[in-house]
Amino acid sequence: MIPWLGDTRARRFLGFTTLVPIMVLLGLVIFAPPDGNERAQFLQFFGRFHPLSVHLPIALLMLAPLFELAGRTRYFPYLLSAVDFVLGLATCGAIVAAALGWLLARNGGFSGPLVTQHMWAGLSVAGAAWLCWILRAKTSTKGGNASGKKLYPAILITTVALVSFAGHRGGQLSQGENYLTEFAPAPIASLLGAGDSGDVPTNSPNGGANTYYGARIQPLLNQHCTTCHRRSKHKSNLRLDSFDAMMRGGKHGPVIKAGEIKGSELLRRVTLPQSDDDFMPPDNRRPLSTTDVKIIERWIAAGASGTVGTDALKDAPPIGATQSTAEAKFEEPDPATVAKERASLAPTVAELQKRFPNVLDYQSRASADLVVTASWMGTKFGDSEMAALGPLSERIVSADFTNTAITEKSASIIASMKHLRALRLMHTKIGDTTVQGLGSLDLLEALNIFETAVTPAALPTLARLPKLQHVYVGETKIVDSASVPQEIRQKLIF
Amino acid sequence: MASSPAFAGALKLAVDGTPRLDLTRDPKNPLAALPPQFAAKAKRVIYLHMAGAPSQLELFEYKPELVRLDGQDCPASLLAGKRFAFITGVPKLMGPQYPFHQVGESGHWISDRLPHLEKHLDELCFIKSMRTDQFNHAPAQLLVQTGNARLGYPSLGSWVVYGLGTENQNLPGFIVLISGGKTPDGGKQLWGTGFLPSVYQGVQCRSHGEPVLYLNSPKDVTVSERRSVLDAIDELNQQNYAEFGNPETVTRIAQYEMSFRMQMDATDAMDIHKESETTRAKYGSKPGESSFANNCLVARRLAERGVRFIQLYHWGWDSHGSNAGDSLNFGFVKRCQEVDQPIAALLSDLKDRGLLEDTLLVWGGEFGRTSMRENRSGQVTKFTGRDHHPGAFTMWMAGGGVKPGITHGQTDDLGYEIVKDPVEIRDLHATMLHILGFDHHKLNYSFQGLDQKLTSVKPARVVAEILA
Repeated sequence: MIPWLGDTRARRFLGFTTLVPIMVLLGLVIFAPPDGNERAQFLQFFGRFHPLSVHLPIALLMLAPLFELAGRTRYFPYLLSAVDFVLGLATCGAIVAAALGWLLARNGGFSGPLVTQHMWAGLSVAGAAWLCWILRAKTSTKGGNASGKKLYPAILITTVALVSFAGHRGGQLSQGENYLTEFAPAPIASLLGAGDSGDVPTNSPNGGANTYYGARIQPLLNQHCTTCHRRSKHKSNLRLDSFDAMMRGGKHGPVIKAGEIKGSELLRRVTLPQSDDDFMPPDNRRPLSTTDVKIIERWIAAGASGTVGTDALKDAPPIGATQSTAEAKFEEPDPATVAKERASLAPTVAELQKRFPNVLDYQSRASADLVVTASWMGTKFGDSEMAALGPLSERIVSADFTNTAITEKSASIIASMKHLRALRLMHTKIGDTTVQGLGSLDLLEALNIFETAVTPAALPTLARLPKLQHVYVGETKIVDSASVPQEIRQKLIF
Repeated sequence: MASSPAFAGALKLAVDGTPRLDLTRDPKNPLAALPPQFAAKAKRVIYLHMAGAPSQLELFEYKPELVRLDGQDCPASLLAGKRFAFITGVPKLMGPQYPFHQVGESGHWISDRLPHLEKHLDELCFIKSMRTDQFNHAPAQLLVQTGNARLGYPSLGSWVVYGLGTENQNLPGFIVLISGGKTPDGGKQLWGTGFLPSVYQGVQCRSHGEPVLYLNSPKDVTVSERRSVLDAIDELNQQNYAEFGNPETVTRIAQYEMSFRMQMDATDAMDIHKESETTRAKYGSKPGESSFANNCLVARRLAERGVRFIQLYHWGWDSHGSNAGDSLNFGFVKRCQEVDQPIAALLSDLKDRGLLEDTLLVWGGEFGRTSMRENRSGQVTKFTGRDHHPGAFTMWMAGGGVKPGITHGQTDDLGYEIVKDPVEIRDLHATMLHILGFDHHKLNYSFQGLDQKLTSVKPARVVAEILA
């Protein structure tokens, strides 16, 4: 140990010089507490270093008990001699942090219970750290006294508790009350009493959920304003977390004047150019949209009542940029189920895929139904290729034979595709025989025979298909006339 | 780069533990068709991008309040916190420059500028609440086409072809057609492939002359000679791929092969001489021109041939009013005439041929235009125009997967801000992928340690309200 630190006079001097600023701070906190009014900007400049400065003393104060414990094991005995230094440094750090904290709170216009709690806890940390340091020195030098030896661990534990509390309150101040618990699983959240912070906007008779204020105004304020203007943190002494608080106004007086759009300070602040010093919300936070402004404007113009009904103000914008809530479904196939469904046909599918690449495939990754796209092969796909699809015909739900060389010879295979929902035979050499063979395709919804030789003779067959919705008959011998059976006529697209 | 496919193959679980979509293919067939994740409502896309951003307020967004306030000073609340490309000071509100009327059973409003499209209005699904965060053409076009305002990301078409491949191996899966004028400001990156293997890039086809240059074999080179040259190159490339595993080698092989196959099919697909005089007249198409009409006709021919993603660009919609060409009174009128009849003909042809059932048609620009008249340099311009407006614009879709005849979303009385159901560009992309059978979260590509996706990292919402 450094000799002079062991010296009583030197220690008394050090102890005294650190106690003085603590006492001065105590005085300031009592006689010049943060009152929600903003003051000198250059002091705010220093004050804003407060959040930076707090982490060192927090870490050191956590380190001290750790050293005490670890130092008592046989592995790290040397740590014990460092505790004194750590505590001294922590005390100095805590004093600096507390001083900066007061600068920030007093000059930055903060006030409210959260600020007060944080401030007192922070100052207590500085005091408690100082006490620990003094007691530790007293007990470790010259054999120490008995009461000090008992007191020291208790004070140290208290300090750690105080640091945790002050740190947590500080975190809540900067990140929002429910920052830690916002995404906590429900049981944990209820255990921690989250959502019960006493900061819930009051739903007094003025501003209930079915009033215009409660439904339109308060949600806007909660979104844009209450981070700084609420019960526990009311900058400029203004609270916007309830109707009553809002009508009380702030240190500059009322912010809402019923019926006076021009005279209402709140409206003036949110509609200033964003570069204006008085613009709200400040610091490049998202400004209110024109619709938001309109919602407030109409309310003030109509008398700024807390009880007027949700839809009493006829000229108010419709409930703002509402988002519909319908959700699209994403099927999540179970690979095992799909594999099982496909098991019986998979080898045949694989073989045909090899023979005709990009012609045959499953409808989707979740399905054992098949889709045929032969159109791109053009005349290279004909009746013999069609015949190869025979074994799988019942599994095909959609087939496109546009531009292929198939003829009436394929009629029987197509007729055996009993589960077809969509069939395209556009620009092929098929004719009435093929279409007349479709009589048992009970699931068919769309049939395309554009540019084929099909004639009206095929229509009675189609008229019997229960699910059929569209038949594309352009460029065929079927024309729109009274002779077309009525039940099929509105399904034909000419 | 070289390790990514192997890595993707080995790791079949995404970060959240759900099975990853297996998009591995035979290296020799990187464009092989793959089934969608779940049953799709549309198999292909025709995207009509109106570069320059057409004015929604002169086409589909009818705002009577704006008629009433025409010529009045714009209220300060509309200007606060807003940035404009050219508007300075206090501009004047400007009502619609053309008369509007309601059409069909859906009762959609439309101006008198699109008399042909008007007949198909009951087929269209409007989104009046599109929103973007870009207010200059190039980044806004990149955002719409690639999901990101910066360069280097795969385009919508690339993602789709990466996910679904393409059945028709004789044509590219992703084809881009530009109607003369100029290339969009966003440049060729708009159909670029980003970090996906470059085989998924859009192939830009010329609208007159040979669709793809140098496709045909040189004079006196026979098909079989060409084939043997390609076989030799192919073998060398296969050796190279076996040794280094670079997917770009596979891309190269695939492109040699495709260009060989395309010699026949591409020329045929692009040849609008093969269409009847009547059909060409319906589109207002004149062979040999580089026009949007020709491109719409080609788009239909490509859709019939199973091309997966057909991207059309029209140009010149930037109606600032700074000159006759870029004004609502002249250039805009001409632009409307250039697209009106072809789009109507395309819709009608797709419908007649049953292709509208499984083709998703998308129309839109990269942002909207202001409710105020542009006052470039604080002056009253000689021609009328509107400035860029990212805050609200209109797009429409039609065909497979979307409800016909509906309107989604709503703007305020001035058509300036969205008051109901905003749709972000990433929401549009998520919705398009859903219609094509994909969960946008699952269509991934591993790059730079991330499961990259079209909709990027911000939460995207499938617009379920418009799904059929």
